[in-house]
Amino acid sequence: MPNIYKKKTWLPLFLIPAFAFMAVFLYYPFFMNILNSFQSIRTLGVPSGAWNDPWYTNYVNILHDPEIWTSLKNTGLMIIVTLIFQVGIALVLALIVDNVKHGTGFFRTVYFFPIVISATALGLLFNLIVLYDKGMLNQMLEALGKTTLTDWKDESHALATMMIPVAWQYVGFYFVIIETGLNSISSELYESAMIDGASRWQRVRYISLPLIHNVLVTCSILGVTGALKVFDLPWTMFPKGMPVKTTFLTGTYMYYQTMEVKNVDYGSAIAVMIVILGIVLSQVAGVIFREKDY
Amino acid sequence: MKRIWNLALSALLAGTLAACGTGTAEPADNSADGSSTTADTTESVSLNVTTTFAGEDGNAQNFKNSVAAWESKTGNKVVDTSATSDENFKTRIITDFETGSEPDVLFFFNGADANDFVKAGKVVSIDEIRKSYPEYASNMDDGRISASPADGVKYAVPVNGYWEAMFVNKEVLDAAGVTMPDENTTWEEFLDDCEKIKKAGYAPIAAALGNIPHYWWEYGIFNHQTPENHLEIPGAADDTIGKEWVAGLEDVKQLYELGYFPDNTLSATDDETFAMFTDGKAAFLLDGSWKVGGIVANCQSNPEDPSTLDTEKLDHFDVTYFPAQNARKTTDLIGGLSMGYYITKKAWDDPAKRDAAVSFVEYMTSDEVVPLFAQHTATALNNAPKVDETQFNSLQVKAIAMMSKVSSFTGAVQDSFSGECRTSTFDGMPELVTGKKDIAAAVQEGIDAYKAMQD
Repeated sequence: MPNIYKKKTWLPLFLIPAFAFMAVFLYYPFFMNILNSFQSIRTLGVPSGAWNDPWYTNYVNILHDPEIWTSLKNTGLMIIVTLIFQVGIALVLALIVDNVKHGTGFFRTVYFFPIVISATALGLLFNLIVLYDKGMLNQMLEALGKTTLTDWKDESHALATMMIPVAWQYVGFYFVIIETGLNSISSELYESAMIDGASRWQRVRYISLPLIHNVLVTCSILGVTGALKVFDLPWTMFPKGMPVKTTFLTGTYMYYQTMEVKNVDYGSAIAVMIVILGIVLSQVAGVIFREKDY
Repeated sequence: MKRIWNLALSALLAGTLAACGTGTAEPADNSADGSSTTADTTESVSLNVTTTFAGEDGNAQNFKNSVAAWESKTGNKVVDTSATSDENFKTRIITDFETGSEPDVLFFFNGADANDFVKAGKVVSIDEIRKSYPEYASNMDDGRISASPADGVKYAVPVNGYWEAMFVNKEVLDAAGVTMPDENTTWEEFLDDCEKIKKAGYAPIAAALGNIPHYWWEYGIFNHQTPENHLEIPGAADDTIGKEWVAGLEDVKQLYELGYFPDNTLSATDDETFAMFTDGKAAFLLDGSWKVGGIVANCQSNPEDPSTLDTEKLDHFDVTYFPAQNARKTTDLIGGLSMGYYITKKAWDDPAKRDAAVSFVEYMTSDEVVPLFAQHTATALNNAPKVDETQFNSLQVKAIAMMSKVSSFTGAVQDSFSGECRTSTFDGMPELVTGKKDIAAAVQEGIDAYKAMQD
């Protein structure tokens, strides 16, 4: 009886559906998007009127658009927040949970739970928490003696109010990845270190951290590229860059230009910019957080 | 055995793909005269309907009741995707049309907001429908049905008119020692009242300028114009009409700088500032006739049960004219019949849905149903039934009293200055009032977008 696993004649046939799906729903729209960014399209779903004059108009406009710079600055901040707070807190929590004897599964579920809640629902939840009159936060401050209400969505608080829930939401995601990495470290290494008199901190510093280095690199690259795509929760809490267009991220600004302003070709140009930015940043992150072979 | 499993898996995969291929619905029989009926029209039809009768809209419950009555009468079903009337709703509708996922029937604006789908031929005109259904909207005065600005053809069958005016929380006025504004209140007196209210520790005006600046935009401009020229679109920010627009927006900026809007006006939603008004933390609310129902619902322990109305609480609310300046009279109101029921081409060309769509609109615009929705607003009915005020609550009665002294109704110019044109002054309102963007430049930006759309 011939071994069908050695016969690869029909193998490409089984790859065609997935390839066709990717071609139709990813690569075709992607290349059309690049094309659209050079054309004049006033409304969604309508064919372009003509090529822009000059054809690179949108890319020149990007350079002179103050909201683009606001969104780039905010996205950069989001990347830093992601790395420090999402990956950082996830690492600390994973190390702590890795050192507790009981309840690992419980903590894993608790920390992962925000991931399974829709970002829109989380946005609404945090909207209620930071509500001016009188959300949970202002009520708590009032109970502590504060006499005036704080607008947590005003210009001075908006970015923090937007980024804290985003950071909080994904801590569990990175926690689970890092936890899995820690679990894969052989307990014999820790036992040997203990026999040699290594303290708990020394075990973490010289065994855990080096051995999950590659996991942390993966988390960091995921964090950097993920921060570029954040959309739903910020848009739910701060639609249209509210207040005074100070909270735009690259993703929310692209959506705003396309769906609200109906400047579809400009939105396409911003999308191209996001893709380029994503490629560049993931390469940079790959160089900075280089993986190591052990 | 492995071969059998592989064959079975291949067959399953092929079957799945084939099922995907054959899952597409059979196209409707779109014969030239549209008269072909290949489907059995006696079968229950599911109709996709979108309206603005939702959320705080006073007719949200009336709509639900009327839909239930029509469903019970015809055996058809309505998939209701109604939503609060705001820019997001308009964007959603226009995008739905552009992407081919429009509803079968929609209650939407009859001004420039509908231009895109009217120009694309995606809705059916009343005259076209009357060729097959001669009785369609025959109970309406055609002269009062607005034509589309896109092609001058009438598409939308109106139900109830609207007016925009200033709601007042009298409890706040009493606490601040301010008398109720009326038809003689001037702009200067209004500013004095706002100052007293602010000093008493309340927000004079409930408005979310970062979310719904529409009413202040409209009346701010109207206050520098007259009903005769309010609907004109400026040719430039520095021509006569353009300067009036700039002056109107400067007034809104002045109110912001004086601190008459809530502290969080740039970051709040309309729902938040409305809650401030109903909770007695703000005195004035500039809004539309649809807000009457929202205020009444707020005074009910169960918003869906009118019998739970706290009449004493409702008596604290009143409605009056927006204080005037320049040539506009205080009693000149923004209002009219700006919305109506459209039947989409998609439903019209679907033999299974055409009858149901026509039946639904005929029911919702019948002599029996329209008065339920109209209440204290105008209708286009030929034989409007006499209003029985004893059936109305105190706020509705006050609205009717206000209507009795109205000197003119003028449409909203923003209905002709659609989406993209308004971006710089609607979405940009927070930048204008905080001085981060020049008002004249923002107006000019909108005019440029308007001209580009006309080309």
